[in-house]
Amino acid sequence: MSSSTASRRVFLAADPLASAPWSQWLRRVQPLLYLLPALIAVGIWVYRPLVQTFVLSFYEWNLLPTSPQTFVGLQNYSRIFQLPDMTQALSNTAIYIVGLWPLAVVLPALIAIATDELGKRAREIYRVLIFAPMMMAPVVVAAVWRWILHPTNGIVNNTLNGLVNDFERIRFFTDGSIAIWVIIFITGWKLTGFSTLIFSAALTNINRDIYEASAIDGATRWQNLRFITIPLLSPTILFMTMLSILFASAWSFTYINVLTDGGPSGATTNIYYLLWVYGFRSFAIGWSSAAAMVIFVVFGIVAFLLIRLSNRLAFYDN
Amino acid sequence: MTTDALLLEARPAAPPVRARAPLTSHMILIALSILSIFPLYWMVSSSFKPVNEIYSPNLIPTAPTLENYVRVFDTLPMNVLMGNTILVAVMQTGFQLTTSILAAYALARWKFPGSGIVYTLFALTWLVPFQATMIPNYVLLTQLNLRNTALGIIIPNIGSAFAILLLAQSFRSFPRELIESAQLDGATSWGILWRIIFPNLRPVVASLGILLFINSWNEYFWPLLVSSRMDSSTLQIGLQMFMAGEVSLWGPVMAAATLTSLPIFLLYVVLQRQIIDSFVKSGLR
Repeated sequence: MSSSTASRRVFLAADPLASAPWSQWLRRVQPLLYLLPALIAVGIWVYRPLVQTFVLSFYEWNLLPTSPQTFVGLQNYSRIFQLPDMTQALSNTAIYIVGLWPLAVVLPALIAIATDELGKRAREIYRVLIFAPMMMAPVVVAAVWRWILHPTNGIVNNTLNGLVNDFERIRFFTDGSIAIWVIIFITGWKLTGFSTLIFSAALTNINRDIYEASAIDGATRWQNLRFITIPLLSPTILFMTMLSILFASAWSFTYINVLTDGGPSGATTNIYYLLWVYGFRSFAIGWSSAAAMVIFVVFGIVAFLLIRLSNRLAFYDN
Repeated sequence: MTTDALLLEARPAAPPVRARAPLTSHMILIALSILSIFPLYWMVSSSFKPVNEIYSPNLIPTAPTLENYVRVFDTLPMNVLMGNTILVAVMQTGFQLTTSILAAYALARWKFPGSGIVYTLFALTWLVPFQATMIPNYVLLTQLNLRNTALGIIIPNIGSAFAILLLAQSFRSFPRELIESAQLDGATSWGILWRIIFPNLRPVVASLGILLFINSWNEYFWPLLVSSRMDSSTLQIGLQMFMAGEVSLWGPVMAAATLTSLPIFLLYVVLQRQIIDSFVKSGLR
C-alpha cells in the first residue's frame, strides 16, 4: 500500500498538467468554485437586502419606484418608538414569547420525561400521531382552527353550548382579551408534538448507567429528575428556549394574517406583523426598515447570550 | 461493572411507582395524540359532509358526499394551483440540494483561508428574519420582472444555509481514507463528490430533500407577497383567497384545505419514520 502510494505520488508530481500554473491556481480556487452558487444566493437574497434595509432605515420612502427616497437621518428610529401601535406590538411580542414558552419547552419536556419509560413500539405509534401537526401548512392549520373555534357554528362552542346552561358563545378571534392567547395556542399546538420528540430523543441519549448508579445510591424519582435528567437536558432546554424566543413572532405570523389580521384593534399584532403592515400596507418603508434593524440587533444579542449560556451550562454525557 | 449489573438483576421487580407509570404515560400520550390529530380528522370529516350536515357534531358523515370537492374545483383553478405548487416545490428543492451539496462538499473537504468566515456567513443567515430582507427583495424581484412567476417564488430560496450546515456535518463524517485513495487513483474532486461521497450519503440527501420539499410546499409569506394572481399562485395562497371569499362555506373550505395537504399527507403516511427522524435530528428550519 505505502510503496504504491509513493510511486503514484511521484507519477502525479511528474504529470506536466498537474504542475502547470493554471492547474495549481485552479486547485487553489477549487473550494471557492464549489461554494460560489450558495454564496451568490445567500449574498443576493440575504446579505444584500439586509444591508439595503439598513440603508433604507435612514430614508423616507413609499416603495414607489418613481417617488424619491428622502434622507431623514435617525428620525425613523426615534419616531417608531413613539408610535402607539409599535408599543402595543412590542408588548404583544413579549406576550407571544412568554406564552409560547410553556407550550414549546415546559410541557414537551414534562411529557417526554413522564413517558420516557414506554416501550419502543407504543412510542412509535404516538410519535406518528403527535408529530402530524408539524407537517401541516400554516394556512391549513389556520383554516381548520377557524372552523373548530367558530363562534356560532364551530364544534367547540356548539359542544360547550350543549353542556352549559345560558352559555355565552366565546368569540375566540374577535374578543380582544383572549384572541392573542388563541393565536399562541394554535402556534403551540403545531409545535408541542415536535418539541416533545426532540426532548424524547435527548432523553434516549442519556446514558442509562447513570440512573442505575443513582438507583443503587437510593435516589428518589424527584432527585433523579432534579440532579440528573434536568441538568443533562439543559442544552436541549436552552436550544428550544432560544428557538421559541427568536421565532415566536415569526411562527405566529400566518395565523395572525389569516385569522385576525392583527386585530381586534391591534390585540394580536406583533413586531413582525407590524413590519409587514408598515412595509406593504402603509408603505412606510423607513419605519419598517428601522424597526426591522432594531429587531435584528436585539434578537441577535439574545441569541448570542443564549449560545454563550448554553456553552457554559452544557453538561455532556460521558 | 459486572457486579453492578448483577446487583441490578438481583433487585426486586419494579417498585409500585414504576408499575403505574406506563398507564399514566399512555393516558398523557393518548390525550396529546387526540389533541394533535382531531383537528386534522375534523377537517377531512367536514370536507365530506353535505350542506345540511356540516354543522352537526357527527364524527363520521352520515351521508358522505363529494359536492364540496366539486365546488372547490369549480371555483378555484385547482389544476393550475397544484401544478404551480409542484413546480415550485420540486424546483426549489432541487436548487437547494444542488447548491448545498456543492457548498457542503467544499466546507467539509478543504481547509482554506476564509473557510471559517464562509461557514459563519452561512450559519448567521438563520438569525436574519424574513421581515428584515423582504422589502429590498421585493424591489429587486419587481425590477427583474419576476413578480407573478414561479421563478420569482423560487429564486430567493435557491440557497439554504440550513441544508448546507446539515450536509457539511454528514460530509465531514465521511471516511477520509476513501477520498484519499480515490484521489490517488486520479479521480477529480468533482468525480469524488458524485461517484464516491454522494452515492454513499444518498439517504441523508433524500431525507433532507423531503424536509425541504415539505417546507417549500407549505411556504406562505413569500408567495403571498410576490404572486397576486391565481394563475401564478400556489395552493397555500389559493386556499387563503378561497377562505377569504367563501367565509361561511365550511364544507368547501375544508375540502380545499384537505386537497392542499393531500400530497404532504401521502408523503407522511409512506415515509413517516424518515420524516420524523430528519425533522428531529435537524431541528427547525
